[in-house]
Amino acid sequence: MAVIRRRWFQYPWDFRESILFTAVVVTVGFFIQYAAAGSGVALPRLPVNAIALSLFAVLVLSIGHLFRNAPMVKWFGGIPLGLCLIFAIAVLSLIGGIVPQEPVAEVTLPVRLGMHRIFSSWPFALTVICFLANLGIGLSWKLVPFKSQNIQFILFHAGFWIALSCGIFGSSDLQRLILPVEEGKASNIGYTMENETPQQLPFSIFLHDFALEEYAPNLLLYDPHTNTQTNIEVHKGSSSSWKGCDVLVLDYMPYALPDKKGKLLPADQKTGVPFAKVRISADGKSDEMWIGLTNPSQKPEPVQLSKLYVLLWPGTPKSFRSAVTVQDDQGREVMANLEVNKPVNFMGWKLYQMGYDEKAGRLSSLSLIEVIRDPWLPVVYLGFFMIMAGNVLFFWNGIKRSKDA
Amino acid sequence: MAIDFNTAAIAAMTCWATGALLGIFSNRIPGMKTPGYILAIAGSVIIAGYIAYYWNLLGRPPLRTLGETRLWYAALIPLVGFIVEFRWKIGWLKYYCMSLAAFFLVINMLHPEVFDKTLMPALQSPWFIPHVVVYLVGYVFLAASSTAATHNVYLQLRSKTSETGESVSHYLALLGFVFLTFGLIFGALWAKEAWGHYWTWDPKETWAFLSWLAYLGYLHANSYKIDRSRLQWYLALSFIVLLVCWFGVNYLPSAQNSVHTYTQS
Repeated sequence: MAVIRRRWFQYPWDFRESILFTAVVVTVGFFIQYAAAGSGVALPRLPVNAIALSLFAVLVLSIGHLFRNAPMVKWFGGIPLGLCLIFAIAVLSLIGGIVPQEPVAEVTLPVRLGMHRIFSSWPFALTVICFLANLGIGLSWKLVPFKSQNIQFILFHAGFWIALSCGIFGSSDLQRLILPVEEGKASNIGYTMENETPQQLPFSIFLHDFALEEYAPNLLLYDPHTNTQTNIEVHKGSSSSWKGCDVLVLDYMPYALPDKKGKLLPADQKTGVPFAKVRISADGKSDEMWIGLTNPSQKPEPVQLSKLYVLLWPGTPKSFRSAVTVQDDQGREVMANLEVNKPVNFMGWKLYQMGYDEKAGRLSSLSLIEVIRDPWLPVVYLGFFMIMAGNVLFFWNGIKRSKDA
Repeated sequence: MAIDFNTAAIAAMTCWATGALLGIFSNRIPGMKTPGYILAIAGSVIIAGYIAYYWNLLGRPPLRTLGETRLWYAALIPLVGFIVEFRWKIGWLKYYCMSLAAFFLVINMLHPEVFDKTLMPALQSPWFIPHVVVYLVGYVFLAASSTAATHNVYLQLRSKTSETGESVSHYLALLGFVFLTFGLIFGALWAKEAWGHYWTWDPKETWAFLSWLAYLGYLHANSYKIDRSRLQWYLALSFIVLLVCWFGVNYLPSAQNSVHTYTQS
């Protein structure tokens, strides 16, 4: 059988042309990035980005629809180009998954090529634009004429198009500010991660109280000769044996303070520190003692045994929360408890419990609250839910087809 | 990990080993087939029971450390082997799956972990379990898909092909992809609640996206006119990206600031 080899750029185009096109796009991207001396793509903000994205969407869908039989358009919306662009996005993401993505001061070749900010670099932006065009044209063929058997394809591909495009085009409108506030005070000044310039917010946050709860502390046995250690979680009755040393926790007071004579008295949560009464037996001798954290901000004091050290190590944070009142210029007011994983909405902003003064630990009177505004979030979520709906159908149809097979 | 983990692991591995032996001998003595099945399934049931016990003991889901996630794989991967045999009448996959599960248990026995009940505040979320479980199930399917594809590659090298074998690796990859997609989106929705934004190109996110792209690429290559038997190499190797994502990320230079690094113990 005679094999007729298709010449370069002879229609229909296939993988060869797609690979070449993708390579050109990525190379051009790196050239622009190099010429721009490593600075990233600056995106316009609302409403310009929304208008630009809508025009782009209309353009892509109408080209796909009006010129669906043109061989060039057929190739541009086809799987071979799609696969090559997916591969290019994967390679660029691979760079981003290996090279730490953070600002670098010195200007080296990789920095000029945008390796340290790959996801806002020109090669990434150009590849994604081409990919959105490819995906959009492919989508236009399935949208018109509409058939119900295409619903799964449409949900998945349109959802991905919306989430990807709105996530990227809308990233310029994302506002993230950190607002430090002291107990008993109010603040409306936020700081961004990137620079120290304070920014005034349209609302203020008053911090009534910051509270932090810790897990039970650990008893740490440390052997300086071998530089090894073991942990025992402290609660009444917990025990352990390690290197010929038996430790038993006889009593535990989560919040206590010694009085003038050194007698331990229960104290309240704000001032008390954990104390544990332990019995330590080693080499046939037995001793009982109270071990405590003198102050949560200080390093624990070790008690030396014959060979080992014993010390009480503070527990890690279990939860922390800020009781706040948020108020805007028009006098709208909301009282809320901010906690990790439990953000609160206020006038289009989302308020997050972010951190506290870690040196002061449990006694911190400072709370770090992150406030975020992302006007594009509902559209991105629409994309996410479309993908998930398409995914359910894909699962269902995939199983069904495998039963027919 | 508690002391009786070793007992549970050895019991499970004994069940799998005897189950597998009976399964292999059942070619000659058909009566051994059913006891073989029961023993093999009992191995997974033991590990599942141990997970339940351990969960109760910790007071939190055992999904935080690498060792804890390995427990789940050990319980679930053999089940995929059994399901494939039940659905497609392919018996060999379960032996690979049981060996893989035993391998995970042996790693855990060699690295007994420190007992730690704590769960940092960011992980205390209703999204924690669905996000991790969906990913676990996805990884289990894709591990099995990669195993099946490796077997197909082995057959091809000996100039044989198995159409059923190829459709097994394909459908397992398809199922795995569905779960990866859910895992990725659940993760994004959770990240919005916990860290303020749904996508920040955290190294783990980047690698999860990469592994998702790898299987997205496979599905499109398959739906295009590329011969499925030529994609077996690709499927066999795709799992490496997942492995990097699962624990390799911890060792990459980019991971210093990741919110996703597992507790090392």
